[in-house]
Amino acid sequence: MPDGAAIMMIEEVFSSRGRVRILRILTEIVELNISEIARRAGLNYATTNQHLQILEKAGVIKHKSFGRIRIYRFNEDNIKAKIIKKLMEVWEQENKNVSQTVREV
Amino acid sequence: MRSSIQKPLKAKKTRFFRKEAHSLFYASVFKDETKLDINYTPAKLHHRYSQLELLKQYFRHTIERPGRMTQRVIVTGQVGTGKTVLAQHFGRSVLQEAQNRNINLHYIHINCRQNKGSFFLVLQQIVERFHPTFPKRGYSAEELLQILMQILDNENIYLITTLDELESLIQVEGSEPLYKLSRIEETRDKTSRRLSLICILRDQSWLDKLDASTRSTLQSNIINLGPYTKEQLSDVLNDRVVLAFKQGAVSSETITLAAELGGEEGGNARYAIELLWRAGKYADTEKVPEVSPEHIRKAVGSVYAVVRRDEVAALDFHKKLFLLGIARHFQQNRDIHLPMGEAEEAYSIICEEFSEKPRGHTQIWKYVQELASLGVIKAELSASGQRGKTTLIGLPRVSAAELEKELSRALDNAGRGSNYDD
Repeated sequence: MPDGAAIMMIEEVFSSRGRVRILRILTEIVELNISEIARRAGLNYATTNQHLQILEKAGVIKHKSFGRIRIYRFNEDNIKAKIIKKLMEVWEQENKNVSQTVREV
Repeated sequence: MRSSIQKPLKAKKTRFFRKEAHSLFYASVFKDETKLDINYTPAKLHHRYSQLELLKQYFRHTIERPGRMTQRVIVTGQVGTGKTVLAQHFGRSVLQEAQNRNINLHYIHINCRQNKGSFFLVLQQIVERFHPTFPKRGYSAEELLQILMQILDNENIYLITTLDELESLIQVEGSEPLYKLSRIEETRDKTSRRLSLICILRDQSWLDKLDASTRSTLQSNIINLGPYTKEQLSDVLNDRVVLAFKQGAVSSETITLAAELGGEEGGNARYAIELLWRAGKYADTEKVPEVSPEHIRKAVGSVYAVVRRDEVAALDFHKKLFLLGIARHFQQNRDIHLPMGEAEEAYSIICEEFSEKPRGHTQIWKYVQELASLGVIKAELSASGQRGKTTLIGLPRVSAAELEKELSRALDNAGRGSNYDD
């Protein structure tokens, strides 16, 4: 584990709707602080903080601290993070394509 | 039978719509009017090369030995003297130089007035360039400055930031922001110095409002930009005309007049450029393919109402006639100066029209002086080099058509009226 990530089962990461939503937001916005992630995900601060800690433990995301402010983003050095980010992008794009086709029909 | 009547009607309707569509897409005098926008930075910098070189010299160490030394420079000059464009050109060239030397240097230009003179908002703008989604609340300006320095350290960035319209920041926040910005490097025990400043001010006297220690750190390097001369403004305008207008849409007389007016407004290039843009709009409204000096006069009138109706009505009868002659001349001709002799001739024609005996030369010369002092006309001696000397009359700030309309109305209403002089 070169980047200090803990062993975590994939179902543990993806078993929470909140965590998946956070990953989707970070895919779209690149980097954000906790309050803003919480606002966009529709979660409270404490829950968001917990989810972020789990995702960081899994090595998928990382943070930078600026005084009291913590800014989270995908951990681009982690292969799992790269693949998850790609999965999110492809998934979103496919959804857009489908809704476009439906509108045209 | 019925259909045969309807058919031509339909055809007529189609023709009408075609005409409408044609008028909507009438060919404009502009090729790209964004090139006349206040925020546009032209690729070529006119008549500010020496100041650009000086700025480069001041920042030489920042580029040659990054991290060893930071710099603070003040640029002053009145409105439209090229302060912003100078800083932006410097920003471009310094970025290019840094790229060539593989230095992670950034240039950020911030307008303090647009940020309501708030130190917090200014810093936020800078931080957002590096982290666009950085939270907007939850910390003080001091914390934000520390955050900025942390970002510069973490990401190994050297930053030159220009604080444009600095008056606004001084007015709202006093000395504190500049003191903190100029001293931040000294309070850090890091070896790398990262934050350099360019401060843009209209008037250097604003620095007197700062406390002594802040002033002393700032005042060492000052570049003062004098007003552009008429000739320099012509170069600036010629450049913009090529970019913004279609070929042949703006005559040299039009450019000369705009440059002259910009020169009179304290060598203000911004004003002269705006006049060109407005004049272009007037040409488009009239659906003519060329911007004439008359359009520039109209543009001036739309910026400031120069001739007031009551002023025109209060003029003596023969002054009105003389002015009418001038107005008619400029309406019919493209030149921007009228020699005294020709003005007298135009006046004689008007006198004939009104069955009046024209006043003598000395009296007319007095009219010229009085009208010039009122600001309605401009009178200047012809340049040396011409044969003989004559007074040249110009109508730079008033639309000739508008003036003629006003004068005709005043003459119709009053006739010789009570204003009959001598």
